[in-house]
Amino acid sequence: MKGSRCLHQLKSLRLLSHAGRLLPPAAAGNNGALFRPRSSSQLGGLQCAQREVLRHFHSSPACTKGQPARFLQEEDKTRDKSLVTHDDLFEQVAKEAKTKATFNKVIDVYTKGDIRRRGHVEFIYAALKKMPEFGVEKDLTVYNKLLDVFPKEVFVPRNFIQRMFNHYPRQQECGVQVLEQMENYGIMPNIETKVLLVQIFGEKTHPMRKYQRIMYWFPKFKHVNPFPIPEQLPEDPVDLARFSLTRMANDWDAKVTVYQLPCTDVTESGAEVTLPHIVGIQSPGQMEALAKHNPDRPVFVEGPFPLWMRKTCVYYYVLRADPTPPEEKIEEPYDPERCLSYPLQLDLDLDRDLGDDESFDVEDLDEGPVFAMCMTSQGDQATLNQWISGLQESNPILGQIPTLFRLGAGPRELQGVGDADSASRSWFPSHVQREEAHPGEEAEAVVEEEPRRSQGVKQ
Amino acid sequence: MSLPRITHLPSGRLLSAILHHQRLLPSIIPLTVPKRAVIQGEYRRPGQPRKAKFPWKKINFNFSKGLEGIKKHFTLLKKEFTDRWVGPEGKPIVEHMLEQNRAVWEFRGPESLGEWTVSSDREIGGHSEAYLKLGRNNNTCFLYGTLSSTPPRDGETRYSGYCTMRSKQPLASFDRKKHHDWSSFNTLHLRVRGDGRPWMINISAETYFSHQKDDIYCYFLYTRGGPYWQDVKIPFSKFFLTHRGRIQDDQHPVWLDKVNTIGFTLGDKADGPFQLEIDFIGVCKDYAHTEEFAYEAYKRNPEV
Repeated sequence: MKGSRCLHQLKSLRLLSHAGRLLPPAAAGNNGALFRPRSSSQLGGLQCAQREVLRHFHSSPACTKGQPARFLQEEDKTRDKSLVTHDDLFEQVAKEAKTKATFNKVIDVYTKGDIRRRGHVEFIYAALKKMPEFGVEKDLTVYNKLLDVFPKEVFVPRNFIQRMFNHYPRQQECGVQVLEQMENYGIMPNIETKVLLVQIFGEKTHPMRKYQRIMYWFPKFKHVNPFPIPEQLPEDPVDLARFSLTRMANDWDAKVTVYQLPCTDVTESGAEVTLPHIVGIQSPGQMEALAKHNPDRPVFVEGPFPLWMRKTCVYYYVLRADPTPPEEKIEEPYDPERCLSYPLQLDLDLDRDLGDDESFDVEDLDEGPVFAMCMTSQGDQATLNQWISGLQESNPILGQIPTLFRLGAGPRELQGVGDADSASRSWFPSHVQREEAHPGEEAEAVVEEEPRRSQGVKQ
Repeated sequence: MSLPRITHLPSGRLLSAILHHQRLLPSIIPLTVPKRAVIQGEYRRPGQPRKAKFPWKKINFNFSKGLEGIKKHFTLLKKEFTDRWVGPEGKPIVEHMLEQNRAVWEFRGPESLGEWTVSSDREIGGHSEAYLKLGRNNNTCFLYGTLSSTPPRDGETRYSGYCTMRSKQPLASFDRKKHHDWSSFNTLHLRVRGDGRPWMINISAETYFSHQKDDIYCYFLYTRGGPYWQDVKIPFSKFFLTHRGRIQDDQHPVWLDKVNTIGFTLGDKADGPFQLEIDFIGVCKDYAHTEEFAYEAYKRNPEV
């Protein structure tokens, strides 16, 4: 791999540059030509960042013949010599668009401003704090560029005493914090990060160890979720509803039906009415169970229940019935033709020993069958009525079964976790009512019960 | 991971270099990094004052509570004596040797909730809430609340937004510690109904050294969400060792003969309400599972 070759070359280069320090300063400018003929051609394929990094292999900053790079547009920003913290650089840029390009621009302003990189630790901490605002916290190239801010080769311990005594502890801690922010956002570093860390801190240092830990544990836990969620959830609410319903139903035969697409209607009076989307799911097994349901017992529409996928919360409603009491349970005989390879029911007089008992001694919870699920953005009774009438087309028995609505407090609309502050504040007033209306508490729930007899006409 | 403070004197030049460094760039560090000595005493929750409470002030003299306590402890003691005649741990020897499944926690009544401690980051000054109650039909436990990841403003906490439910340490008579002995099992079996959030299961075992006090063996519990119950089976060989929330380099499988507590924690940085319903927690012996440990013993000084 190109990167590992680069590492070997770096090691050899370091030895050469140690020898190179003995050269008189005048010849330092020619270091590039003398010591790197072979490597420059081989490294020609690497990215620009590497070439920029190689430029820092000068023996001492005072020897560089090159001027600090001048750039034209940013001069007015950096001309101001008053005491300004590094946060201000970001604040100034933040007045314009907050994008990756402007973030990179700020880093460039800083790196080209001072060859000695004074205060680079504070700058990196400030940049780490500002990353979420600029929206670049999940971008590996930006992290690599930020690690590039460290001057190379200065912090590498050169003998065993320096290696023992935590050489340059502040810079090492800063490097560890950069990697820790990468770890928090779940970003896997790449070979460029490793090369940068070796150049900056050397091997067997804390940032390098942290990198090794990330590279060991992240691949182990990457696919440990048995119900994986894609990184980018669909943005269209109907697609999102379809995805989450199939996820919850856990049945390949379940069919998703879109009863209504979201649209904006203009009624006769000129008022705008937004119709929410209604997406429902039902599997053939559930249809059979509903067909066999006793019409004297009511079915309930319950909701809204939350479902979280990464940081988005959606709400779904459930059509279910209470469990049938034991006296009404009919044991259906097994149909032997359902499976011809082996008998489904065996009448043997054998008992299982204690050592072979593989079931838990826990009473089975029977909470009643679930007949269908649906998702809609507006959870009021009118919309759910529409869903039930849509369901009735495939389950005609719903016309005879009384349907009761047990709806909890209105859900917050489908929103991602945008602003932590506003989200936390908005949960407080609703939490009290939400606590009462939570599913499972039949006595205290805000219950809207309305018997719904057979209806033929959609209301 | 924070670097230990240099408590010993380094060589003269190095010391002056470090001090010079610190004077040049004064501490306007936006990201505060905790400074911990290598030898850690009692864990101090960040944000709490460092004053000590004298041990004699913690005793509480109350007559009726004392009588109740005596009754409870002597009943437990009597039970311990009589249990030995039935068999080990109060079960007949045949059952103890052959049992393959044991439902350790079942939530069938309000007294089962008393075995659990619920806490959230409210203790360090955060804004999350967590509550525990019985679920529908009093048959399950229902952990619900709200998470908020705004960190408390105490100057040292950087991340926040977690909640946890942990079982209480089982106690024998006179408040002696008792342990769960799961050495004949190898899988943890739970039946849960979550809302799609990823939880973490923490098992805490009895340790010998004081440094190991916060050693917890963790694994993930991914919930699917939805109205159906989810059976989760996690072999104990998958649990990895962490200390104070940081995964350790030296990994070893959890020792099941002295398990103290089990806990569930949520800290997935998604603000909003959460809920988790647990039907039962049990351990079982899965003969098909032959793995001893899922992670390698890590080389301490691997080459880069």
